Amino acid sequence: MSVDAFDAEAGTINVVAPEFTLRPHATMLEMVERCPVARIQYTDWPVLSRYEDVAWALRHPEIFSSDLGELLALGNVRPMIPQQIDPPLQTRYRKILDSQFTKKAVNRIEPALREHARNLIAAVLDAGECEFDSAFAIPLPCKAFLEFMGLPVEEMDHFLALKNGVIRPDAHPADLARCTELRAETGRQIYAYFEDLIDQRTRAPREDLMTYLVQVELEGRRLSREEILDICYLFLLGGLDTVTATLGCNIAYLAENAEQRRRISQDSGCVEAVVEELLRWQTPVTLLPRVLKQPVDLRGVHMAAGQVVNLMISAADLDAAEFPRAGEVDFDRDRNRHLAFGLGPHRCLGSHLARLEVRVGLEEWHRLIPDYAIKPGEIPRVSPGIREFQYLPLVWPGVA
Amino acid sequence: MKLRVDLDLCAGHGRCYEIAPELFGEDEAGHCVLLVETVPPALTDRARRAADNCPESAIGIE
Repeated sequence: MSVDAFDAEAGTINVVAPEFTLRPHATMLEMVERCPVARIQYTDWPVLSRYEDVAWALRHPEIFSSDLGELLALGNVRPMIPQQIDPPLQTRYRKILDSQFTKKAVNRIEPALREHARNLIAAVLDAGECEFDSAFAIPLPCKAFLEFMGLPVEEMDHFLALKNGVIRPDAHPADLARCTELRAETGRQIYAYFEDLIDQRTRAPREDLMTYLVQVELEGRRLSREEILDICYLFLLGGLDTVTATLGCNIAYLAENAEQRRRISQDSGCVEAVVEELLRWQTPVTLLPRVLKQPVDLRGVHMAAGQVVNLMISAADLDAAEFPRAGEVDFDRDRNRHLAFGLGPHRCLGSHLARLEVRVGLEEWHRLIPDYAIKPGEIPRVSPGIREFQYLPLVWPGVA
Repeated sequence: MKLRVDLDLCAGHGRCYEIAPELFGEDEAGHCVLLVETVPPALTDRARRAADNCPESAIGIE
């Protein structure tokens, strides 16, 4: 199966092949071992897969820039803040944003998050089956994030449509022109929505993240309208997608590995370690794009300035040079410096929120549904890039 | 056993104060704050684990 997605002779990887998105491990392990600088089929962009190389790239934004501009159009007309700008400017924005996403700051949503989780599970528990993505993985983090930001939860479907229109436009991933067109169309709607919301919060401040953005001062001045829009654009994409993907990846793994799953029911204290190890094993955001500011020669491959390079953090997280017994899932791992949230100046701003959402999601799910399996005869469907289990049918024993 | 933190390297992952909250705290931005300089003998294993799990290798042990 891995042979199809990865052509070792040509050194190309087909990251959109369904067999790769569903079961990528054998292919990624092979890439790390045999082809640390491969190329992505369709775009021909180099893709780095060794931990050492990826970590080095992430720590050197002056070489591996996040300022991709037109090279990776996600419907935005200016760089998203702070993700698509480089230090030192990026660091100044992080100073005012980090404080809103600390562990302490996100912990306040835990009670509401738990309640959302319980309600979602209660709605499917007696049925003995559900499609996990739509029943749990999508609504749980999305409700929590919309509340966290101060956006109307009843409009969740609209926000999800906007987010999907940018991340997974309704066209073949290889049809770049059509994808770009759809993204631009959605992007205009996103800007228009937040333009209106900025006006609302300026007129009538509330206790929420949107109001914070309207009021906060950056080095003695308020943020401009465009700066707020560029931050909101990123928050919409980051907050509504990646935790959904993480929950699906985790539950899909645990559904097929009963022994590991039982650890959670038997020892609720292990969930933090489970979250970390599954972030490593099932790194849901697989590729981080960068553009080279200068030529780079790496492992015998020459890459020119201006070249887009993909960092495959999901493969780097399987590198045996960093992780002993990298091909095994081990909740008792002493050292786990996985790259699921990146490294260096661009470390995922929402990592503490994501960890909380995933932990609470797993705890509540396993408290009520400790035993479950993928519905016999069904094959899950997984999206490329950000691995969302878009179709994950589960069954569990009926509640007597 | 003594702890050192290189704050230029710290990126706010928060692994240290998750693993060893007795030894590490967080500042307003979620970056590491050393709570003790000398590690009590009972916490040396925990200190090592926190250092080992820092993705930025920002924690040093002497």
